[in-house]
Amino acid sequence: MNDSEQATVVSDGGEVGIVEYQDFVSGERFHFEAGGSIPELRLRYETYGHLNKAKDNAILICHALTGDHHCAGVYSLDERKTGWWNFMIGPGKPIDTSEYFVICSNALGGCQGSSGPGSINPETGKPYNLEFPKLTVRDMVRAQALLVDSLGIDRLHAVVGGSMGGMQTFQWAIDYPERVGRYIALACAARHNAQTIAFNDTGRQAIITDPGWQNGNYTADNGPDQGLAVARMMAHITYLSDVGMEHKFGRRRRASAKEHFDIEFEVESYLRYQGQSFVSRFDANSYLYLTKALDRFDLHDPESLDATLSAVTAPGLVVGFTSDWLYPPQGNRELVEALLRLGKDASYAELAMDYGHDSFLVRAPKLYDLMRRFLRR
Amino acid sequence: MHPKNPKKRQADFQIIARWVNEGERVLDLGCGRGVLLEYLKQTKGVYGVGVDIDFDKVLSCVKRGVPVYQGDANEVLAGFQDNAFDRVIFSRTVEQFDAPDATLREGLRVGKRATVGFVNHGFWKNRLNKALWGRRTINEVYPNPWYASMPANPFPVVEFEDYCKLKNIEIGNRVYLAGDWRSECSLFPNMLAGYAIYDLASSC
Repeated sequence: MNDSEQATVVSDGGEVGIVEYQDFVSGERFHFEAGGSIPELRLRYETYGHLNKAKDNAILICHALTGDHHCAGVYSLDERKTGWWNFMIGPGKPIDTSEYFVICSNALGGCQGSSGPGSINPETGKPYNLEFPKLTVRDMVRAQALLVDSLGIDRLHAVVGGSMGGMQTFQWAIDYPERVGRYIALACAARHNAQTIAFNDTGRQAIITDPGWQNGNYTADNGPDQGLAVARMMAHITYLSDVGMEHKFGRRRRASAKEHFDIEFEVESYLRYQGQSFVSRFDANSYLYLTKALDRFDLHDPESLDATLSAVTAPGLVVGFTSDWLYPPQGNRELVEALLRLGKDASYAELAMDYGHDSFLVRAPKLYDLMRRFLRR
Repeated sequence: MHPKNPKKRQADFQIIARWVNEGERVLDLGCGRGVLLEYLKQTKGVYGVGVDIDFDKVLSCVKRGVPVYQGDANEVLAGFQDNAFDRVIFSRTVEQFDAPDATLREGLRVGKRATVGFVNHGFWKNRLNKALWGRRTINEVYPNPWYASMPANPFPVVEFEDYCKLKNIEIGNRVYLAGDWRSECSLFPNMLAGYAIYDLASSC
């Protein structure tokens, strides 16, 4: 996700305004799909709008790899930076908080307040680091289901997510068909292709080979900052498109470059800023765990995509973006083709946008219309 | 490409519905705004999927609650196994395919039956227009001048039936509509029919 895209506050409708996060804590031991467990589960989340009496108007938002639970509103009046999907969520907006009760939690394994490698193991009083169990998308979704249980919600009106959030969305529709009213997956994939795994591993290697990583046992002020920044810089390129980058930066230069390898081009400046700002908000071990969970995610496994998706009962909408080369349209189409082969109610729409994989995080009236209409049908 | 007159736009609905069985699985290639599928869902309880290349049309289908796939008909057909659908509908789309024969036969592979509806270019008014004025037909169905139209490969009833014979495609049912697109006609269809609808099956 792109830090600079969210910096401006633009209103397309009403605003959810000032929001607060909450913590869901389950004292019951949480067991992971690939083995291992943690003594308590903690998920940080936010909600917007009101849960109706029937408790059937809840929409769960699933964030992308480096997103978090703060998807709309601001924490204080003087804050300029809004939640990452603020233009999509609010009164009168496509995900209309005057109609729906919106929930978004920081993913399990994340680092914004939910249980993850960086959180303290209550049994030892120390961070889990690499003792944190191996994580899967299914684990993330099961943790969210416990949160939804705790809110007294049996069935969600919809589950919505992009990228990693889209994978979670599908996992919801597969694992909890009776609890999902409908789902929308944006810029999604049934599994990573070799190129995506390759990019992720290059990022992981940048972290792991940084001396600061120390087998995952770094401290807050002595971590693999350089490795994490480089991982982010490279990943960030995969979220954009060549056309989009050309348009945004071209070959524009900075006058201030003196030494040979100083920042010379605007694009260098931008990426280094992205890398640096990422280090201040993201944990390197979380990055390793989450990217690994995504690389292992495979809806073709164990038998076939059709076999996996046969569990789905809810109507679904999948949206691909033409310039997305990380989770390209073909991977999105493949999901819908399988659903249609199975006789499911599924739709595929494709938006021509130049913003690459991050297109779903960019204001686009066509996407608003599509989501608004699908959520209402 | 769709006529502005809604009666004409929906001329073939009732005839297609006559041939569709309750609860059939229907694939509509070039589904537009999903009006036919919505009608078949309401009247026949079909499981219908639409395909259209245009985002705005797809948006309308989503609004109607019709499952829709935005994409190219040929690519979509390639993704389905044989007989995945009971029926594949080509309503006023055949004349726009790059390779009509290949696409029609793909439709007959994916669908147990295919329904094809098209404007008969042998219709006397269309002939007259060309003979008298030497101009392309511009009417409610083809309202746009050549420079604002998609490439089309118009054909008359007789040539379509020649094609079916040549390729061993079995014509199960056929309905010719007169120039008003409402009353059925059977005499000299190539001359008198404004619109033709066929219910086809692969005979191999």
